[in-house]
Amino acid sequence: MKSLDYIAPNSAEAAVALLSENGESACPLAGGTDLVVDLKHAPGDIELLVDVSRIDEFRGIEETEDGLRIGSMVTYGEIMSNPICLEKTPAIVDASHTIGAVQTRNLGTIGGNLVTCVPSADSAPALMVLDAEVTVAGLDGKRRMPIEDFFVGPRKTSLEPYELLVDIWIPKKNLGKPSDFYKFGLRKGQALALVNAAAAIDIKKGKIIDPRIALGAVAPTPIRALKAEALLANEKPTPELIVEASEIAVTECKPIDDFRASLKYRQQLVRTLTRRVLTRSVEIASNR
Amino acid sequence: MLIELRVNGELRSADVPPETTLLKMLREHLDLPGTKLGCDVGDCGTCTVIVDGVSVNSCLLLAGRAKGSEVTTIEGLANSNTLHPLQQKFEEYGALQCGFCGPGMLMSAKNLLDNNPTPTVYEVRDALAGNLCRCTGYTKIIEAVVDVSRDMKAESDA
Repeated sequence: MKSLDYIAPNSAEAAVALLSENGESACPLAGGTDLVVDLKHAPGDIELLVDVSRIDEFRGIEETEDGLRIGSMVTYGEIMSNPICLEKTPAIVDASHTIGAVQTRNLGTIGGNLVTCVPSADSAPALMVLDAEVTVAGLDGKRRMPIEDFFVGPRKTSLEPYELLVDIWIPKKNLGKPSDFYKFGLRKGQALALVNAAAAIDIKKGKIIDPRIALGAVAPTPIRALKAEALLANEKPTPELIVEASEIAVTECKPIDDFRASLKYRQQLVRTLTRRVLTRSVEIASNR
Repeated sequence: MLIELRVNGELRSADVPPETTLLKMLREHLDLPGTKLGCDVGDCGTCTVIVDGVSVNSCLLLAGRAKGSEVTTIEGLANSNTLHPLQQKFEEYGALQCGFCGPGMLMSAKNLLDNNPTPTVYEVRDALAGNLCRCTGYTKIIEAVVDVSRDMKAESDA
């Protein structure tokens, strides 16, 4: 590997300052499961690694009056063994479990997954259906935004220069909301998603309330299937309605056609996965 | 940069360039070549070690990140007289052929049983999904791990 400098600041302010002082030559290091590989094969102009993984306010999972806070440097492994996540956000646990393998899940962070911003990012749909928000810190302090505004394009987020992802928030009303996540890859282990999908719904007086559907690897960024959601809202959750919503979800996607899977195959996956995650969410909601 | 950490219970240190991975530090600076360099990109798992109670790909972890950590490598499993139960069963079952995946397989299996002493076969497969073996077809490896957990259960029930 090429010669590099390494520094591990202990606050967001110090990390942002280091990044701004060093410009293009500095790069934040999170779990390293992508970056360390890049450094070995295509290091580019990077000369300084700013390790943000030990910053206290980027770490930890806790439930507050506002909801659930997940630090950006929390690993998938930590999410999978966290009692609050297991009980109240099982879709995020399921999504974490589909990423890489045990060893990469113990290094890779949820913040790294979001900042890398690939269309197939597995944590994204599960967070989107729970209306997650993200906090970012930069030279002008902190700002908060809905997670959908964070994704701009393939490998492109709305982070301004020298901004860092601090944490992810799930609003209190969505903790324990019936939800489901499903990923389809070419293998069970260590595979990228051909399509991933998540849903979350409530049922009140026999009608669907606040339906959410999010899909990954089907567009330049993870997307919400807003038209399909609109069809479901305030309706009775019948199998026919779910089939119809899944059909609409297909029309909201623009999947690529490549050597991993054809366009038609991916569209069929959207249809099937949307139906599965909706059906499962309805089952969970009906059984409580 | 000076990195101090505890490896297999022993305090060790080395002055390494900042871009050094934990894998390179173990093999080239601490004279612990049991942990293997395979793909070097986090896919094959033969570099697996346990850091502060969780298994990681040491090829992806910079030594600076492991500073102050408690590291267990394959060299920490057996003592001079006795093999670790996993090593004994791997031998008994013929779970290794060329053996290159062995250090990683054993560390992943140890990490599983440390956290979940009675895994299902599915859980064993899931725990070893990050360890590639090109010889065995995995069957004997999985059987060996399941057998160790069975013995552990029998012992704790006794």
